[in-house]
Amino acid sequence: MKPPKSAVRFLIFFLKQELQEEVLGDLEEQFHLNVKRGSLLKAKFKYWLQVLNYLRPFAVKNFSTPQIYTPMIKHNFKVSYRTLLKNKMYSLINIGGLAIGLTVSLFIGLWIHDEYSYNQNHEHYDQIVQVMRKDITPDQIYVNTSLTGGIGVELAEKYPNYFKHIAMTFFRSESQLLIKEENIYKEMGYFFQSDITHILTLEMVEGTREALQNPSNIIISESLAEKIFGNKRAIGETLSLNSDTELIVQGIYEDLPDNSTFGDAGFFASQALFYNEQNPYVWDNYNMRIYAQLQPNIDVSEASSVIKDLMVPYRDVDDDPRELFLLPMKDWYLNSEFANGVRVTSQQVEFIRLFGIIGIFILLIACINFMNLNTAQFQKRGKEVGVRKTMGSLRGQVASQFLMESFLYSIGAFIISLLLLYLFLPSFNDFAGKEIGFEWKNPLFWASGIGLSLLVAVLAGSYPAIFLSSFNPIEAIKGKLNKGGKSERFRQILVVFQFTISIVLIIGTITIHQQINYAKDRPVGYQQDRLVTLTGSSELYRNRDVLRMELINSGVIEDVAFANYPLNNTLGNNDGFRLPGAMNDLPVTFNTVFVSPEYGETTKWELVEGRSFSRERGDESSSIIVSESAVEGMGLDNPIGQEIIASSSFNGDRLTIIGVVKDMIKGSPFQKPVPLMLFSTTNPLRYMFIRIKPGIPLSNGIAEIRETFKEVVPSHPFEYDFADDQYLTKFRSEERIGTLATLFSGLAILISCLGLFGLSAFMVTQRIKEIGIRKVLGASIVNLWLLLSKDFGRLVVSACLIAIPISYYYIEKWLQNYEYHIPIYWWMFVIGIASCILVTMLTVSYHSIKASLANPVESLKSE
Amino acid sequence: MFYNLVTNIMKETKLGDFEETLLLIVGILDEDAYAFKIAEEFETQLDRAVSIGAVHSTLKRLGDKGFLTSEMGEPTAERGGRRKRIYSITGAGQRALEVSRDIKLSLWSQFPAFGNLKFNVG
Repeated sequence: MKPPKSAVRFLIFFLKQELQEEVLGDLEEQFHLNVKRGSLLKAKFKYWLQVLNYLRPFAVKNFSTPQIYTPMIKHNFKVSYRTLLKNKMYSLINIGGLAIGLTVSLFIGLWIHDEYSYNQNHEHYDQIVQVMRKDITPDQIYVNTSLTGGIGVELAEKYPNYFKHIAMTFFRSESQLLIKEENIYKEMGYFFQSDITHILTLEMVEGTREALQNPSNIIISESLAEKIFGNKRAIGETLSLNSDTELIVQGIYEDLPDNSTFGDAGFFASQALFYNEQNPYVWDNYNMRIYAQLQPNIDVSEASSVIKDLMVPYRDVDDDPRELFLLPMKDWYLNSEFANGVRVTSQQVEFIRLFGIIGIFILLIACINFMNLNTAQFQKRGKEVGVRKTMGSLRGQVASQFLMESFLYSIGAFIISLLLLYLFLPSFNDFAGKEIGFEWKNPLFWASGIGLSLLVAVLAGSYPAIFLSSFNPIEAIKGKLNKGGKSERFRQILVVFQFTISIVLIIGTITIHQQINYAKDRPVGYQQDRLVTLTGSSELYRNRDVLRMELINSGVIEDVAFANYPLNNTLGNNDGFRLPGAMNDLPVTFNTVFVSPEYGETTKWELVEGRSFSRERGDESSSIIVSESAVEGMGLDNPIGQEIIASSSFNGDRLTIIGVVKDMIKGSPFQKPVPLMLFSTTNPLRYMFIRIKPGIPLSNGIAEIRETFKEVVPSHPFEYDFADDQYLTKFRSEERIGTLATLFSGLAILISCLGLFGLSAFMVTQRIKEIGIRKVLGASIVNLWLLLSKDFGRLVVSACLIAIPISYYYIEKWLQNYEYHIPIYWWMFVIGIASCILVTMLTVSYHSIKASLANPVESLKSE
Repeated sequence: MFYNLVTNIMKETKLGDFEETLLLIVGILDEDAYAFKIAEEFETQLDRAVSIGAVHSTLKRLGDKGFLTSEMGEPTAERGGRRKRIYSITGAGQRALEVSRDIKLSLWSQFPAFGNLKFNVG
């Protein structure tokens, strides 16, 4: 007669270990008595009742917290610490690899955090919007930020219930010259309507947010105030803007952080400076950007739908419709790319994703090192496990020992990575173009940093813990573990994974650099070197002919030209051109630029057909010069002498093509050339170009120009750039990716090789006797080297085979982003793979050659 | 947490009614005082059902208060070869019982209905 099994099992399940014997005994004694007294069923029932009656606090096991014995933790810690010291090389590889991986992830994390916190400094972040325009043409929807002044006026007048503040600024913003006595400061600044200070909630150090209501006032950033005025009081001082206008400093505001849209601003001034009327109520000039702050209870989509058709009354019925909508501030930086009117994943977000993934992979590579080096030593650690288990350790306890080890490693790695982070943050900021601070005081930083290292500990430690704790103690102690095969294969897969990623990164890096160099070597259609560019002022316009003659007379200058747009952008776009006799406009948007007649001689463009403009011929306002892509766009066979009819914006002129030039790359060097149409004029033009004669040292040339400027236009600030320098800035974002990619792929291969180095060292020590015997029997060093290296070689080769299609896929996808791009060369793969194999074979050979060279007596004399 | 708090308060050597009864039964059973036997004795003496768990928990509490000690006894066959825990009263337990009895006697002696009665209790 036995008590009900299920009841016993249940009792054992919940009852404290130390009470089990007496309680089970008592209950069984009673059970037998009950059986004797009455029925079995009743006895069983009573047994159950008694069991349930033991569900009392004093008797129930403590389920919530597992039994933690502090001495055991201390013991585990001590053993982990000793293992760490015992295998110094493995520990160094493990901790070093993890530290590098963690550092990279932390950097990438900081960068992503910075990208997502863009503009969040503004108090009304959720209510700030930019007004956007949608041009709906039959075949495309274009999204644009340029608007007419009338829109801003009407928004402010008609919708005060929706918009708390409206501020317009000029569409084009560029650096301005601020002049204080002798000193010239080239600063980015914005000309806004006065409400901008409220929208951006500028923190005024001095003065008030109302300062811009008077157009002759300027407010400057704290750092600029210090730069210009030092310790002296800035309020009330005057600054000259481009030596045209005198402005009074009436406010100093706290600098906006670097990661905000207006973070580059050194000053804000009034838009009314450039508008005689107070209200720029026009509807045909799209030269404004409009920012607004919504009323507190209004949401973006609501206000968006209200203003959608605001432009309708001001446009002809048969014009393509134009709609307005609002883009909330949170989308300005990361989500403001549109294709055909629909928001698409922006390049910025793609970078974030790309680097996020790379960060995860690098961390994974480091974790794999940890797993492989730990499981590879299973013979050694197996004995330890065997002894522990024989002494009564449960599997969980053994596993916790190994987990403890991985925690120790990852915490060590975290501390090192903090140090690395601190050391390399300045250089990281440098090439990422950021100003990220070390956020000691940010709890989020610590939480995520520590969280990440704990995650790494679990990720890297769980497999070794499960694997090593699974050993049968008897086999382990006898040294007869044959778990090698399965775990070996797993290790090999992990190594292949590591190297596949490394190789993909290397091939990607090669491609990026090839692409950048390819674009850099692209013919730009004019000569960039020795070409000085600068921006004019009213004084310069008045004296431009004298200045030009004086410069040429100085002997160091070949020629001087002017244009209404600089050489490094494609602003000024017009369509509405028609061939005579055609019904429809040409389907080409031209980059229309007005230039002085010497433009061609100064920029040294490459004339393909026809002739350049010429001052001697007098008025050439109806002559145009176009680029090759413009000719192609118009579909002309004999362009010279061809007449073109311009629409109203060019007064219905009949234009005649007098020359064709090679395409000038003024915009992105990665895109197709923009069709160019050049007009000749002798009117004042804003941008000036000076070509220094060949053979004259640039510094002498600049000094000579500066002298001439001082004589002819003494009040004009001489601030210049070189055209080739300006052009190079167009590669900045690509070069940034290039640098980061080089860095990351270098680190990936470094960490992978560290792991391989450890593995090969381990493998060689395991086979040291075999090597000795082989050597005694006459094996050559080459034989031995091959024997020891070929396993790893095989792994790397399979990684290469996997990496080729993966990298091909991504390279092709990436190159699609660029209209002007390289073909995918086969040698890029060869170089990537060859360099990877070379590095890994060198790594592996170190130990195998060392072992092959060793005297076999050393390894064979023991035992 | 709450449980600890309660036991701490109750540690002040006061004897509850149930506790006092069990303590007495332990004394009566002497060598045979283990949880099951105590529960049986309780049921026969007081004619009231009680679970072994309830008895066990009270015995534990009395042990915590220092009124009982216990040690493991011999295994027997009807217990499936398991040992039993034999409880015995400590000096403190003895004193607590005496204090409790004295208070009750003193109260009884003052109770008017029995005012003229004499008890002969040793």
